[in-house]
Amino acid sequence: MKKLIIAASLSIFALGIAHAAPPAPKKEGIEGKDYKWNAQEGEKVEALQKKGDKKNGQEAYEVCGACHLPSGAGRPDGTFPQLAGQHTTVLIKQMADIRAGLRDNPTMYPFAATLTDPQELADVAAYIEGLCIPVEHGKYEGADASLQVAKGKDLYEKQCLECHGKNGEGNKEKFYPVIAGQHYKYLLRQMTEIRDGHRRNANPDMVKVIKPYTNEQLVAISAYQASLTMPGSMCKPKAAAPAKKK
Amino acid sequence: MKKLMAFAALAAVVAVPAFAADGAKLYTEKTCNACHGPEGKKPLMPNYPKLAGQNAAYAEQQMKDIKSGARNNGQTAAMKGVMHLVNDEEIKAIADYLSKLKP
Repeated sequence: MKKLIIAASLSIFALGIAHAAPPAPKKEGIEGKDYKWNAQEGEKVEALQKKGDKKNGQEAYEVCGACHLPSGAGRPDGTFPQLAGQHTTVLIKQMADIRAGLRDNPTMYPFAATLTDPQELADVAAYIEGLCIPVEHGKYEGADASLQVAKGKDLYEKQCLECHGKNGEGNKEKFYPVIAGQHYKYLLRQMTEIRDGHRRNANPDMVKVIKPYTNEQLVAISAYQASLTMPGSMCKPKAAAPAKKK
Repeated sequence: MKKLMAFAALAAVVAVPAFAADGAKLYTEKTCNACHGPEGKKPLMPNYPKLAGQNAAYAEQQMKDIKSGARNNGQTAAMKGVMHLVNDEEIKAIADYLSKLKP
Protein backbone atom coordinates (compact mmCIF):
# COMPACT_ATOMS: atom_id res chain seq x y z
CA MET A 1 0.00 0.00 0.00
CA LYS A 2 2.73 2.40 0.98
CA LYS A 3 4.53 1.59 -2.26
CA LEU A 4 1.38 2.29 -4.21
CA ILE A 5 0.98 5.66 -2.54
CA ILE A 6 4.58 6.54 -3.28
CA ALA A 7 4.17 5.47 -6.89
CA ALA A 8 0.97 7.47 -7.19
CA SER A 9 2.42 10.60 -5.66
CA LEU A 10 5.50 10.19 -7.80
CA SER A 11 3.43 10.05 -10.95
CA ILE A 12 1.50 13.14 -9.91
CA PHE A 13 4.80 14.82 -9.24
CA ALA A 14 6.08 13.77 -12.65
CA LEU A 15 2.99 15.25 -14.26
CA GLY A 16 3.70 18.48 -12.50
CA ILE A 17 7.25 18.87 -13.67
CA ALA A 18 7.05 17.29 -17.09
CA HIS A 19 7.08 19.97 -19.74
CA ALA A 20 3.37 19.74 -20.17
CA ALA A 21 2.07 19.19 -23.67
CA PRO A 22 -1.57 18.85 -24.57
CA PRO A 23 -3.93 17.22 -24.09
CA ALA A 24 -4.57 18.51 -20.60
CA PRO A 25 -4.77 16.12 -17.68
CA LYS A 26 -8.19 15.44 -16.24
CA LYS A 27 -8.74 15.69 -12.51
CA GLU A 28 -11.95 14.75 -10.74
CA GLY A 29 -14.05 17.86 -10.25
CA ILE A 30 -17.60 18.68 -9.32
CA GLU A 31 -18.89 15.57 -11.11
CA GLY A 32 -17.16 13.34 -8.52
CA LYS A 33 -18.49 12.57 -5.05
CA ASP A 34 -15.15 13.24 -3.33
CA TYR A 35 -14.82 16.73 -4.81
CA LYS A 36 -13.72 19.35 -2.36
CA TRP A 37 -13.97 22.85 -3.76
CA ASN A 38 -10.79 24.91 -3.64
CA ALA A 39 -8.86 22.24 -1.73
CA GLN A 40 -5.77 23.95 -0.39
CA GLU A 41 -3.19 21.79 -2.07
CA GLY A 42 -0.59 21.69 -4.79
CA GLU A 43 1.08 24.58 -6.55
CA LYS A 44 -1.88 26.88 -5.92
CA VAL A 45 -1.09 27.03 -2.20
CA GLU A 46 2.57 27.72 -2.92
CA ALA A 47 1.74 30.40 -5.46
CA LEU A 48 -0.68 32.10 -3.08
CA GLN A 49 2.02 32.32 -0.41
CA LYS A 50 4.66 33.79 -2.67
CA LYS A 51 5.23 37.44 -3.33
CA GLY A 52 4.78 38.03 -7.02
CA ASP A 53 7.49 39.79 -8.98
CA LYS A 54 5.84 42.23 -11.39
CA LYS A 55 8.81 42.50 -13.69
CA ASN A 56 9.06 38.79 -14.28
CA GLY A 57 5.28 38.69 -14.42
CA GLN A 58 5.31 41.13 -17.30
CA GLU A 59 7.59 38.83 -19.28
CA ALA A 60 5.54 35.77 -18.48
CA TYR A 61 2.37 37.64 -19.40
CA GLU A 62 3.56 38.15 -22.96
CA VAL A 63 2.07 34.85 -24.14
CA CYS A 64 -1.17 35.68 -22.30
CA GLY A 65 -1.39 39.08 -23.96
CA ALA A 66 -1.84 37.61 -27.43
CA CYS A 67 -5.41 36.67 -26.46
CA HIS A 68 -6.18 38.66 -23.31
CA LEU A 69 -4.46 41.71 -24.86
CA PRO A 70 -1.52 43.57 -23.32
CA SER A 71 -4.05 45.71 -21.46
CA GLY A 72 -5.68 42.64 -19.87
CA ALA A 73 -9.00 43.72 -21.39
CA GLY A 74 -9.76 40.43 -23.14
CA ARG A 75 -12.32 40.67 -25.93
CA PRO A 76 -15.74 42.32 -25.74
CA ASP A 77 -17.16 39.34 -27.66
CA GLY A 78 -16.46 37.26 -24.56
CA THR A 79 -14.03 34.82 -26.19
CA PHE A 80 -11.39 35.84 -23.67
CA PRO A 81 -12.28 37.35 -20.30
CA GLN A 82 -11.03 40.65 -18.98
CA LEU A 83 -8.26 39.95 -16.47
CA ALA A 84 -7.51 43.50 -15.36
CA GLY A 85 -9.14 44.17 -12.00
CA GLN A 86 -9.50 40.51 -11.06
CA HIS A 87 -8.35 39.34 -7.60
CA THR A 88 -4.91 37.71 -7.57
CA THR A 89 -6.35 34.82 -5.58
CA VAL A 90 -8.89 34.13 -8.31
CA LEU A 91 -6.32 34.45 -11.09
CA ILE A 92 -3.99 32.00 -9.36
CA LYS A 93 -6.75 29.52 -8.57
CA GLN A 94 -8.07 29.51 -12.14
CA MET A 95 -4.61 29.16 -13.68
CA ALA A 96 -3.75 26.35 -11.29
CA ASP A 97 -7.09 24.62 -11.90
CA ILE A 98 -6.59 24.75 -15.66
CA ARG A 99 -3.04 23.43 -15.28
CA ALA A 100 -4.25 20.62 -13.04
CA GLY A 101 -7.02 19.57 -15.42
CA LEU A 102 -9.78 20.67 -13.08
CA ARG A 103 -11.14 23.37 -15.36
CA ASP A 104 -11.34 22.26 -18.97
CA ASN A 105 -10.08 24.85 -21.37
CA PRO A 106 -8.20 23.31 -24.27
CA THR A 107 -7.52 26.69 -25.86
CA MET A 108 -5.92 28.14 -22.75
CA TYR A 109 -4.30 25.00 -21.38
CA PRO A 110 -1.03 25.16 -23.38
CA PHE A 111 -0.58 28.79 -22.40
CA ALA A 112 -1.19 28.11 -18.74
CA ALA A 113 1.21 25.19 -19.05
CA THR A 114 4.02 27.46 -20.26
CA LEU A 115 4.26 29.05 -16.81
CA THR A 116 7.16 27.32 -15.14
CA ASP A 117 6.31 27.13 -11.46
CA PRO A 118 4.22 28.52 -8.57
CA GLN A 119 6.47 31.57 -8.42
CA GLU A 120 5.62 32.41 -12.01
CA LEU A 121 1.90 32.03 -11.31
CA ALA A 122 2.32 34.55 -8.51
CA ASP A 123 4.37 36.82 -10.79
CA VAL A 124 1.76 36.90 -13.55
CA ALA A 125 -1.02 37.52 -11.04
CA ALA A 126 0.98 40.38 -9.50
CA TYR A 127 1.53 41.90 -12.93
CA ILE A 128 -2.15 41.70 -13.85
CA GLU A 129 -3.03 43.24 -10.49
CA GLY A 130 -1.03 46.31 -11.51
CA LEU A 131 -2.97 46.88 -14.74
CA CYS A 132 -5.53 49.65 -14.80
CA ILE A 133 -9.14 48.62 -15.39
CA PRO A 134 -10.36 49.36 -18.91
CA VAL A 135 -13.16 51.90 -19.12
CA GLU A 136 -15.05 49.93 -21.80
CA HIS A 137 -16.07 46.29 -21.97
CA GLY A 138 -18.66 44.08 -23.63
CA LYS A 139 -22.22 44.83 -22.53
CA TYR A 140 -25.68 43.50 -23.38
CA GLU A 141 -26.54 45.26 -26.60
CA GLY A 142 -30.15 44.35 -27.31
CA ALA A 143 -32.80 47.03 -27.76
CA ASP A 144 -34.32 45.87 -24.46
CA ALA A 145 -31.09 46.47 -22.53
CA SER A 146 -32.57 48.68 -19.84
CA LEU A 147 -35.33 46.15 -19.20
CA GLN A 148 -32.85 43.27 -19.00
CA VAL A 149 -30.57 45.21 -16.66
CA ALA A 150 -33.50 46.06 -14.38
CA LYS A 151 -34.67 42.44 -14.36
CA GLY A 152 -31.13 41.29 -13.72
CA LYS A 153 -30.69 43.73 -10.85
CA ASP A 154 -33.65 42.19 -9.01
CA LEU A 155 -32.33 38.69 -9.44
CA TYR A 156 -28.76 39.69 -8.63
CA GLU A 157 -29.73 41.37 -5.38
CA LYS A 158 -31.73 38.35 -4.27
CA GLN A 159 -29.04 35.72 -4.52
CA CYS A 160 -25.76 36.85 -6.09
CA LEU A 161 -25.00 39.98 -4.10
CA GLU A 162 -24.32 38.08 -0.91
CA CYS A 163 -21.11 36.58 -2.31
CA HIS A 164 -20.21 38.78 -5.26
CA GLY A 165 -20.91 42.09 -3.52
CA LYS A 166 -22.98 45.15 -4.23
CA ASN A 167 -20.72 46.34 -7.03
CA GLY A 168 -19.71 42.90 -8.25
CA GLU A 169 -16.41 43.23 -6.41
CA GLY A 170 -16.26 39.60 -5.27
CA ASN A 171 -14.13 38.61 -2.29
CA LYS A 172 -10.39 38.20 -2.49
CA GLU A 173 -9.98 36.03 0.62
CA LYS A 174 -12.82 33.70 -0.32
CA PHE A 175 -11.76 33.33 -3.99
CA TYR A 176 -15.04 34.85 -5.20
CA PRO A 177 -14.30 36.58 -8.50
CA VAL A 178 -14.82 40.18 -9.43
CA ILE A 179 -17.61 40.21 -12.00
CA ALA A 180 -18.01 43.95 -12.53
CA GLY A 181 -16.27 45.04 -15.68
CA GLN A 182 -16.41 41.56 -17.14
CA HIS A 183 -17.77 41.05 -20.66
CA TYR A 184 -21.45 40.24 -20.84
CA LYS A 185 -20.95 37.28 -23.17
CA TYR A 186 -18.21 35.78 -21.01
CA LEU A 187 -20.35 36.06 -17.88
CA LEU A 188 -23.27 34.40 -19.62
CA ARG A 189 -21.09 31.59 -20.97
CA GLN A 190 -19.47 30.87 -17.61
CA MET A 191 -22.73 30.97 -15.66
CA THR A 192 -24.30 28.62 -18.17
CA GLU A 193 -21.33 26.26 -17.91
CA ILE A 194 -21.42 26.35 -14.12
CA ARG A 195 -25.16 25.68 -14.08
CA ASP A 196 -24.83 22.78 -16.53
CA GLY A 197 -21.89 21.15 -14.75
CA HIS A 198 -19.33 21.90 -17.46
CA ARG A 199 -17.14 24.13 -15.35
CA ARG A 200 -15.80 21.35 -13.20
CA ASN A 201 -13.89 23.49 -10.71
CA ALA A 202 -17.04 25.34 -9.69
CA ASN A 203 -18.07 26.06 -6.13
CA PRO A 204 -20.91 23.67 -5.17
CA ASP A 205 -22.63 26.51 -3.27
CA MET A 206 -22.69 28.49 -6.49
CA VAL A 207 -23.98 25.51 -8.45
CA LYS A 208 -26.79 25.02 -5.94
CA VAL A 209 -27.83 28.66 -6.26
CA ILE A 210 -27.65 28.80 -10.04
CA LYS A 211 -29.22 25.42 -10.89
CA PRO A 212 -32.87 26.61 -11.03
CA TYR A 213 -32.20 29.61 -13.25
CA THR A 214 -33.52 29.67 -16.82
CA ASN A 215 -31.47 30.82 -19.81
CA GLU A 216 -33.52 34.02 -19.91
CA GLN A 217 -32.76 34.76 -16.28
CA LEU A 218 -29.06 34.21 -16.85
CA VAL A 219 -29.18 36.67 -19.74
CA ALA A 220 -30.73 39.29 -17.47
CA ILE A 221 -28.28 38.67 -14.63
CA SER A 222 -25.31 38.84 -17.02
CA ALA A 223 -26.69 42.06 -18.50
CA TYR A 224 -26.86 43.60 -15.04
CA GLN A 225 -23.44 42.34 -13.97
CA ALA A 226 -21.86 43.73 -17.11
CA SER A 227 -23.42 47.10 -16.34
CA LEU A 228 -21.63 47.33 -12.99
CA THR A 229 -18.53 49.43 -12.60
CA MET A 230 -15.55 48.08 -10.80
CA PRO A 231 -14.38 49.98 -7.79
CA GLY A 232 -10.68 50.26 -8.50
CA SER A 233 -8.04 52.01 -10.52
CA MET A 234 -9.76 52.70 -13.81
CA CYS A 235 -7.66 53.51 -16.86
CA LYS A 236 -7.75 57.11 -17.85
CA PRO A 237 -9.81 57.55 -20.98
CA LYS A 238 -7.63 57.15 -24.06
CA ALA A 239 -4.92 55.49 -21.97
CA ALA A 240 -6.74 52.18 -22.33
CA ALA A 241 -4.50 51.16 -25.22
CA PRO A 242 -1.03 52.49 -24.54
CA ALA A 243 0.36 53.41 -27.94
CA LYS A 244 4.09 53.18 -28.32
CA LYS A 245 5.35 56.43 -29.73
CA LYS A 246 8.68 56.14 -31.39
CA MET B 1 -13.95 53.20 -71.58
CA LYS B 2 -10.21 53.47 -71.55
CA LYS B 3 -10.46 55.24 -68.25
CA LEU B 4 -12.64 52.50 -66.91
CA MET B 5 -10.18 49.84 -68.07
CA ALA B 6 -7.31 51.68 -66.45
CA PHE B 7 -9.36 52.02 -63.31
CA ALA B 8 -10.24 48.33 -63.31
CA ALA B 9 -6.61 47.35 -63.84
CA LEU B 10 -5.58 49.68 -61.06
CA ALA B 11 -8.23 48.27 -58.79
CA ALA B 12 -6.99 44.76 -59.48
CA VAL B 13 -3.41 45.76 -58.69
CA VAL B 14 -4.47 47.53 -55.53
CA ALA B 15 -6.79 44.74 -54.45
CA VAL B 16 -4.09 42.09 -54.21
CA PRO B 17 -1.87 43.75 -51.61
CA ALA B 18 -4.97 44.88 -49.72
CA PHE B 19 -6.06 41.25 -49.52
CA ALA B 20 -2.66 40.13 -48.27
CA ALA B 21 -2.48 42.92 -45.72
CA ASP B 22 -5.92 41.97 -44.60
CA GLY B 23 -4.71 38.42 -43.93
CA ALA B 24 -1.74 39.69 -41.95
CA LYS B 25 -3.99 41.87 -39.83
CA LEU B 26 -6.48 39.10 -39.29
CA TYR B 27 -3.72 36.67 -38.34
CA THR B 28 -2.89 38.84 -35.31
CA GLU B 29 -6.35 40.19 -34.59
CA LYS B 30 -7.98 36.78 -34.48
CA THR B 31 -5.21 35.46 -32.19
CA CYS B 32 -3.72 32.93 -34.66
CA ASN B 33 -0.29 34.31 -33.73
CA ALA B 34 -0.77 33.27 -30.10
CA CYS B 35 -0.36 29.57 -30.90
CA HIS B 36 1.31 29.55 -34.30
CA GLY B 37 3.88 32.29 -33.70
CA PRO B 38 4.03 35.84 -35.06
CA GLU B 39 5.19 34.70 -38.52
CA GLY B 40 3.66 31.24 -38.56
CA LYS B 41 7.06 29.69 -37.99
CA LYS B 42 7.36 29.17 -34.25
CA PRO B 43 4.39 27.36 -32.76
CA LEU B 44 3.73 27.52 -29.03
CA MET B 45 3.82 23.74 -28.74
CA PRO B 46 6.02 21.23 -30.54
CA ASN B 47 2.92 19.39 -31.76
CA TYR B 48 1.33 22.49 -33.32
CA PRO B 49 1.95 23.01 -37.04
CA LYS B 50 4.22 25.55 -38.68
CA LEU B 51 2.01 27.46 -41.08
CA ALA B 52 4.36 29.69 -43.05
CA GLY B 53 4.38 28.69 -46.72
CA GLN B 54 1.51 26.23 -46.39
CA ASN B 55 -0.67 25.70 -49.46
CA ALA B 56 -3.50 28.21 -49.32
CA ALA B 57 -6.17 25.74 -50.41
CA TYR B 58 -5.06 23.20 -47.82
CA ALA B 59 -4.90 25.73 -44.98
CA GLU B 60 -8.31 27.08 -45.90
CA GLN B 61 -9.87 23.62 -45.93
CA GLN B 62 -8.35 22.66 -42.56
CA MET B 63 -9.61 25.85 -40.94
CA LYS B 64 -13.09 25.26 -42.31
CA ASP B 65 -13.08 21.62 -41.22
CA ILE B 66 -11.91 22.46 -37.70
CA LYS B 67 -14.56 25.15 -37.44
CA SER B 68 -17.36 22.85 -38.62
CA GLY B 69 -16.16 19.91 -36.53
CA ALA B 70 -15.56 17.76 -39.63
CA ARG B 71 -11.95 17.57 -38.47
CA ASN B 72 -11.84 16.53 -34.87
CA ASN B 73 -8.41 15.10 -34.25
CA GLY B 74 -5.05 16.22 -32.94
CA GLN B 75 -5.15 19.65 -31.38
CA THR B 76 -8.45 20.74 -32.88
CA ALA B 77 -10.02 21.21 -29.44
CA ALA B 78 -7.53 23.98 -28.70
CA MET B 79 -8.28 25.71 -31.99
CA LYS B 80 -12.03 25.28 -31.90
CA GLY B 81 -12.26 27.81 -29.09
CA VAL B 82 -11.28 30.62 -31.45
CA MET B 83 -12.74 29.54 -34.78
CA HIS B 84 -16.01 31.39 -34.22
CA LEU B 85 -13.92 34.55 -34.58
CA VAL B 86 -13.49 34.08 -38.35
CA ASN B 87 -15.90 33.73 -41.26
CA ASP B 88 -15.24 32.00 -44.60
CA GLU B 89 -13.96 35.13 -46.25
CA GLU B 90 -11.55 35.81 -43.40
CA ILE B 91 -10.37 32.20 -43.44
CA LYS B 92 -9.57 32.59 -47.12
CA ALA B 93 -7.60 35.79 -46.50
CA ILE B 94 -5.61 34.19 -43.69
CA ALA B 95 -4.87 31.10 -45.80
CA ASP B 96 -3.68 33.32 -48.63
CA TYR B 97 -1.45 35.29 -46.24
CA LEU B 98 0.07 32.11 -44.81
CA SER B 99 0.86 30.72 -48.24
CA LYS B 100 2.95 33.80 -49.00
CA LEU B 101 5.02 33.68 -45.82
CA LYS B 102 8.57 32.35 -46.09
CA PRO B 103 8.92 29.09 -44.17
